[in-house]
Amino acid sequence: MAKTKVMAACSDGGHWVQMRRILPAFAGMEICYVGTAPAADVDLDAGPGGGPGGRAARYHRVRNVSRRDPLGFTVILWQMARILRAERPDVIVTTGAAPGLVALAMGKILLRSRTVWIDSIANTERLSMSGRLARSVADAWLVQWEHLSAPEGPRFWGAVL
Amino acid sequence: MIFVTVGSMFPFDRLIRAMDAFAATRSSCKIAGDCAAGEHAAGERAEEIVAQIGAGGYQPAHMRWVRGYSRADYLRAVLGCDLVVAHAGMGSVITAGEYGKPIVLLPRRAAFGEHNNDHQADTAAWLGGRPGIHVAQGEDALGACIAAARAGIRAGDGKGGDGALRAIDRAAPPEFLARLRAFALGAAAPEFPAGPPVRAARADSR
Repeated sequence: MAKTKVMAACSDGGHWVQMRRILPAFAGMEICYVGTAPAADVDLDAGPGGGPGGRAARYHRVRNVSRRDPLGFTVILWQMARILRAERPDVIVTTGAAPGLVALAMGKILLRSRTVWIDSIANTERLSMSGRLARSVADAWLVQWEHLSAPEGPRFWGAVL
Repeated sequence: MIFVTVGSMFPFDRLIRAMDAFAATRSSCKIAGDCAAGEHAAGERAEEIVAQIGAGGYQPAHMRWVRGYSRADYLRAVLGCDLVVAHAGMGSVITAGEYGKPIVLLPRRAAFGEHNNDHQADTAAWLGGRPGIHVAQGEDALGACIAAARAGIRAGDGKGGDGALRAIDRAAPPEFLARLRAFALGAAAPEFPAGPPVRAARADSR
């Protein structure tokens, strides 16, 4: 029986710290990771067959693009296309920011994956810019503050804290 | 040990300069083993200050510093410190919380080119006053916040009965996890009727 394959893609720092707190949602599923840090955390869940003595978690590093690095978008589009073709996830989940948006958009275009955008809990007053852009490519378009949700989206399913 | 961190994205020279100046005032404590500023009990040595400065242009003269850490070394620094002083980034706040360390926050300001917008001020407004979290509205307030955080360490901040802050759980609340799990396994999301097309979930994935 094939297991659901999840890709967890996000920027380093606070976005990754929040992603770690939701990873237990995907326990038992095939999982791979896309991030901007040089290397994966050593204690990442590798999915079935992973763990001590098993294979390591699959981690792909991408360019840390942001609105301050527009040239980097060309690079990350190329990187993400390669990663998506190799991993072929059923589900792509991101806690932001721009690299996560790229993962959702390309996953939707190339693979029609199920996609989840979770705006950062740091955004207490308004949806982030990349969160606004995620509307058209996120099947589940989520914020972590109920007062930021709306009937037409984004929706509130909970928060990492 | 006080651990200063600017996060993984942008430099934050205003915080590093202020903490370097703070570290300079502690020199006499380090040398003499007592403290003219009265922050330490007699005989108690001043703490070491270590800073992660990222791509910052200002290089500290009075505290040890690095530009970045591997994640493992970063967590070791948080684990080994008594107090974190940081930009008001959620990575810093959550990590300090998961390790039960008090944290002093200085929000980045867009007007100074420190971030793209002022959401850190919003974050700090939400978090300020919570157990173990102290917000400095400006760099001049850092010393007072550090003193308050240290007083909290001594008096027993947070809810821990033993005087230590209680570390928070390392996973999101189960209800949120359950909704994400159900979606990943193929549950429909009727709240997003106008969403983009999806591949059908694997028939055997439930």
